[in-house]
Amino acid sequence: MNLGDFRHILRQAFYVPLFALIALAGIWLWQVTSTRQAQLWLDHSDLVSAQIAELERRIIDQQTALRGYELTGDREMLHTFDSRNSNIESQFTYLRQLISDNPQQIGYLVRAHDAYLIWLGFAQNVITSPNPTADKSLAYRGRDLMTVVRQAIRTLSEAEDKLRKERLERAITLERQEIVLIIIGALVVGVALSVFSMTRLRRVSKAYQRTLDDLQKSNTEVYESREWLRTTLRSIGDAVIVCDADSSVEFMNAVAEELTGWKMAEANGKPLQQVFHIIHEQTREQAENPVEKVRRLNTVIGLANHTALIARDGTEYVIDDSAAPIRDKNGNMIGIVLVFRDVTDQKRKEAVLIANEKLAVAGRLAASIAHEIHNPLDSVANLHYLIARESDPVKRDEYLNMAQQELTRTMQISRTMLNLYREPNVPITVDLKELLEGVLLLLQRRMDNQSVKVQQDFQGSYVVEGFPAELRQVFANLITNAVDAVGNDGRILIRMRGLPAEEFRGAGVSVEIIDSGPGIADQASQKLFQPFFTTKGDQGTGLGLWVSMGIVQKHGGNIRIENNNDGDLHGASVRVYLPVRTLATPASRTTAHVD
Amino acid sequence: MTGLYTVLCVDDEALGLQIRRALLEVAGYKVLTALDGKAALSLFEDNEVHIVLLDYLMPGMDGGRVAAVMRALKPHVPILLHSACVDLPQETIDLVNATLSKGEGPEMLISRLQLLIDASHVSMGRNQ
Repeated sequence: MNLGDFRHILRQAFYVPLFALIALAGIWLWQVTSTRQAQLWLDHSDLVSAQIAELERRIIDQQTALRGYELTGDREMLHTFDSRNSNIESQFTYLRQLISDNPQQIGYLVRAHDAYLIWLGFAQNVITSPNPTADKSLAYRGRDLMTVVRQAIRTLSEAEDKLRKERLERAITLERQEIVLIIIGALVVGVALSVFSMTRLRRVSKAYQRTLDDLQKSNTEVYESREWLRTTLRSIGDAVIVCDADSSVEFMNAVAEELTGWKMAEANGKPLQQVFHIIHEQTREQAENPVEKVRRLNTVIGLANHTALIARDGTEYVIDDSAAPIRDKNGNMIGIVLVFRDVTDQKRKEAVLIANEKLAVAGRLAASIAHEIHNPLDSVANLHYLIARESDPVKRDEYLNMAQQELTRTMQISRTMLNLYREPNVPITVDLKELLEGVLLLLQRRMDNQSVKVQQDFQGSYVVEGFPAELRQVFANLITNAVDAVGNDGRILIRMRGLPAEEFRGAGVSVEIIDSGPGIADQASQKLFQPFFTTKGDQGTGLGLWVSMGIVQKHGGNIRIENNNDGDLHGASVRVYLPVRTLATPASRTTAHVD
Repeated sequence: MTGLYTVLCVDDEALGLQIRRALLEVAGYKVLTALDGKAALSLFEDNEVHIVLLDYLMPGMDGGRVAAVMRALKPHVPILLHSACVDLPQETIDLVNATLSKGEGPEMLISRLQLLIDASHVSMGRNQ
């Protein structure tokens, strides 16, 4: 039931009884009027009867006067006769007016009047006769005429009596009817109104009950969904803190309690920064309040790298976290959800993985290096043998010269090898051309075996700041990937260009390694930089690109891999951008220092 | 005495090969040299060779493939695989008579060569 229905029922509850009572009153009024009418007719009959009696009395008085005159002959007797005479006429007229509604009665009255007039004519004759007392027959005649008159009046009177009787019965009937109607009407209207009110009230009450039920149900649902949410948050493996727009903590799950060292009950309502105290891992500066950061950026954020959480007891955890705004219906931020996890172990493992990858790179190069060093060493040993047995000084010089050449080569290789490990403490100026040539030298044997041809396309100067051993590792990795990809008789183009400064990027150097291999499959391109992703099966660690990306990003650069459409090489194109001014700091050096 | 024997020396390192030739000639062998597998096979077919000193890692055709062809052509000629390579495939090791790491020194090389030549003569004499 909506509000409209409810108002409709209210209107009905007002108007229906009103109209019912008005109708009842109307019926009662009509009934009372009818009864009253019947009473009036009854009164009328009484009046008519009285007037008829009066008329009869007056006529009898007149007759008595005449009889007196006849007996006495005294003229004095006639005085009342005359005065009565005129009154009788008026009485007839009055009666006629009274019964004008009833033709039958008028007929009776006219007959009585006629009889009276005949008698009156006789009476005039008697009065005018010289000696009325002498004639006895006159008396008889008068009596007969009067009998007719009185007969007629009696008829009239009887008719009126009959009429009165009828009217009385009617009045009584109507009165009874009135009482019955009042009782029945009151009963019917009363019962009808009760039934009506009851049905309306029942409808309203049902609607009310339904509303109550709905409310109860939605209350239960709200409670259940809240519980559901709480249980979900509680059982999540990551730490979760929910706080309102004013940074007051509203909820923490068990993992968050453990990491922060605050119990939910204690932390409730406390400012987030007190409970979730985060700093930059290296600078030790206070990190920005996530609530403010979410409000400022108005989106889901990952907090800065190297964020460390200081627990209540001072324990420090490296954390990986994100914060998302909670919005109301109008899109206003009413709080945030912080999700974070302890990555201290993970960071430690990542460091181990990075070190492993370095070893793996060295391992992959070891065979090549052993070969490179053993070849000249073998020659030097042979030359030593020859020189020991040679007496011709010219030949000996020639052998010594050869030995010098082989030793130079050996030393060059061993120096390059050592450079893979030897790392300065701070970023230094690195000539990328020299660095790349060193890497190519180490890989030369490998490429010769596969008859891979490398074309070097270098223009300009390529000096950047950085950690050379790390960069050597990156390029050794990328070029090895290219050699693996091209197979036998493949071709690799290494293009190096200086890049001027742009809006969002400082001046730098781009090194592109383009190969003639099959390129990158779409499904692989998303995962290339994820650890342990490899397309080389057991031959690869799946860490090369991941570590390379880490090193290049640390230097403030990036690596992009796509399929090359330019030129006649249609394999992968790996573009490394390195800024001239590095972002790497002594603290960010990942290579162990080797003296 | 040893001047009777011809050694076919195969290596893609020109300088190393030149030095090895000088060494073996001083040791009294007749030396043929080849810088790759193809040249080696043609020399092997056209000359009487008593032993092959074969490098493994070479561009184009590696030592394993060269040895396989040589075995097919003249199965009795001993092959000494002489490489700096640390992870030689087993099938190649099975195919050749012996392997010798580079850097073991000239005396070891010469003694191993002679041992193989003598062994092949013994087996050939037994066959005749």
